[in-house]
Amino acid sequence: MRKLCITLFILLFASSAYAGKMKVVSTYPYIASIVDHIGGDRVRVNALARGDFDPHTVIPKPSFISKLRKADVLIINGAQLEIGWLPPLLKQSNNPAVNPGSSGFLDLSTHVKLIDVPKSISREQGDIHPDGNPHYYLNPHNIPLLAKAISEKLSECDSRNSSYYKSNCRNFITMWNQKTSQWDSKLAALKGKQVIEYHKNYDYLLRYYSISLAGTIEPLPGIPPTSKHIESLEKMISSRNISFILMDVYNPDEAGRHLSKKYGITFVKLPHDIGAVPEANDIVSLFDEIVRRLTK
Amino acid sequence: MNRLLLILPMILVLVCSSAQARDFSDTSADAKNEISAGSPFSQSKLIPDISLTLDFSCLYRNVSDKKYDTLKSPEFTLASTDEAAHGHDIEEMNANRGFNLNYAEITFYSVVDPYFDLFAVCHIGTDHAELEEGYFTTRGLPLGLQLKAGKFLSSFGRINEQHAHNWDFSDNSLVYKFFFGEEGLNEIGVRLTCVVPLDFYLMFGAEILQGENEMSFGNKGFRSINGAVDRSGSQGPDLYTGYMKTSFDIGDLIVFTGISGAAGKTQNNHGLDYVAGTTTGNAVSADSYIVAGDITLRYSIDSIRYVSLQTEYLYRRQDGTLYNRDVLNNVTISDLRKKQSGLYAQFVAKLSKRWRLGCRYDLLQKNEVKHNGMNAREPENLPRYAGMLEYNPTEFSRIRLQYNHDLSKYEYETGTPGRKLNQEVIFQYNLAIGAHGAHAF
Ligand SMILES: [Zn+2]
Repeated sequence: MRKLCITLFILLFASSAYAGKMKVVSTYPYIASIVDHIGGDRVRVNALARGDFDPHTVIPKPSFISKLRKADVLIINGAQLEIGWLPPLLKQSNNPAVNPGSSGFLDLSTHVKLIDVPKSISREQGDIHPDGNPHYYLNPHNIPLLAKAISEKLSECDSRNSSYYKSNCRNFITMWNQKTSQWDSKLAALKGKQVIEYHKNYDYLLRYYSISLAGTIEPLPGIPPTSKHIESLEKMISSRNISFILMDVYNPDEAGRHLSKKYGITFVKLPHDIGAVPEANDIVSLFDEIVRRLTK
Repeated sequence: MNRLLLILPMILVLVCSSAQARDFSDTSADAKNEISAGSPFSQSKLIPDISLTLDFSCLYRNVSDKKYDTLKSPEFTLASTDEAAHGHDIEEMNANRGFNLNYAEITFYSVVDPYFDLFAVCHIGTDHAELEEGYFTTRGLPLGLQLKAGKFLSSFGRINEQHAHNWDFSDNSLVYKFFFGEEGLNEIGVRLTCVVPLDFYLMFGAEILQGENEMSFGNKGFRSINGAVDRSGSQGPDLYTGYMKTSFDIGDLIVFTGISGAAGKTQNNHGLDYVAGTTTGNAVSADSYIVAGDITLRYSIDSIRYVSLQTEYLYRRQDGTLYNRDVLNNVTISDLRKKQSGLYAQFVAKLSKRWRLGCRYDLLQKNEVKHNGMNAREPENLPRYAGMLEYNPTEFSRIRLQYNHDLSKYEYETGTPGRKLNQEVIFQYNLAIGAHGAHAF
């Protein structure tokens, strides 16, 4: 027993000794990429969820607990996107530094304006997002808000490097605004077009660029398509001019492909996060790739 | 006991120091600064997370309910009449042919303050309700430590901690059911866990528990009718558990494994003082030890589909004294030594967003019972096979069809005891409303 205690203490101190860099854990890879741009070589960032899997239903791996256990800062997407997997992991990690409400915790959704906040909430409407649509980061114009929030949080938790983070953030936003004006001019061509999505993943982007959403392939959030629902979609499609069917990479795409083939609508598989498709390997190339796929 | 006296003040100091040291600058206020409509004194935002789970089943069994009650797995089952006499009020799941309302479960959870979380589960059967769990955990202990105190499901083993609605099958595994009873090792006590800051998951935990579990432990004591045997039972906690759990990922494969141990005093009365009627009875006083090892392998095929393999082995040793009462209320005393073990192994595959299937192999393996050194030659290697198919319309509803092929039961009514095949088909509904329950791994 005594030996075990000694070994434990050695392990504890050894691990805190090599900690020169601030350890940041993010729930999704896109957040980690923004942190990378702002934190540079002063932080070590780890994303929990995979970018090619469904962000709503992440497998709560015990290895996430060890990452959370050692984190100085935890940055989440929020708006209840993590509700189905993060809370027990956070509880089990026994790390008071990153509990909601403590200084090492950042919920990015509190820094953007959420759309589609439901007036009444009932699961009659499927697995709805009660705080509004949480997929806000898929509008490039929201990214600078997130970058600022991250820069402030890093400065707060690691004040010695505050000016470093702030100047990185300024540089990032300058670069981002240049990229955004390119994306804006490309996406302007899609103004007024009508699309169908599988899940309401891209609504922030669609709204910003005045692309209208004609329907979703899933009848209700989180519920797989039924033949009855596809029938009603078909009725709608035949009376309207639908330009695209937007599909994520993780849901079954048979229904979308069927509609695309039958009605000659362009089928576009869009990445929703970094790693969803090989071309999207950081926050910039994620949007490059989304724009490229939408405008090709 | 000495050690306990040392540990408790240490824990208290830790709790207090962490409470003082941390300065809570409230950054959450800017988060959702919505104006709540209605009363200026409305506290609706402070309502805890509440959820309700309902479990309903329809069962077919090839033996009648009356006969089923008399079937036993020798030396694993406690005699049901004795249990009834001692007020075991936990109804067995899927007990009757036809319809069963197995339970309703109400869960409450909330943060208490910056220092504590509170959690309670009320288990409601058709004719009684009880507090299944009610505990607090600390939020701010240093060094990755967490203290839990109250009534809770022990973290011993792999599935003991899981509530019935998180099981992959409609019933518990045989070895758990016989070692810990229908609701598992559920005790009043304290638990201290530590997550070690390494690159892989490593957790140590220890519990000091009251030791009321009557399947393996029990501390009520007993007295024979003439007073010749008088065991007062224990005064205070006398069940100790400890475990180590670790997990790492190999690509898309999650490996989760652990070892657990439990040691406690057993003082169990199965009718030593029971006078109504002419039945015999007995009581056991023993030192009991249980060790367990488990491993889970789960492989993600893609975002939706996975296959998982989970197995657990438990071994129980009891050394003590057996007091047997005959029909004339004479008590004979004999030396009792039991070595029993069991395991389960299950395979579960998630085929699509809504469909899962699985199979499970249960085995009550070793069953060595010695009275005064004489082996009672009880039957060993008693298996049960199960298969299930599950349809989950959403995360909040589940419909499951399960078949059990149970060869673990013996019939004692006929002159010579013989094995009785018990077949079950269970059609189960499990529904949840309220707060979104996030599942632990
Ligand atoms: Zn969503």
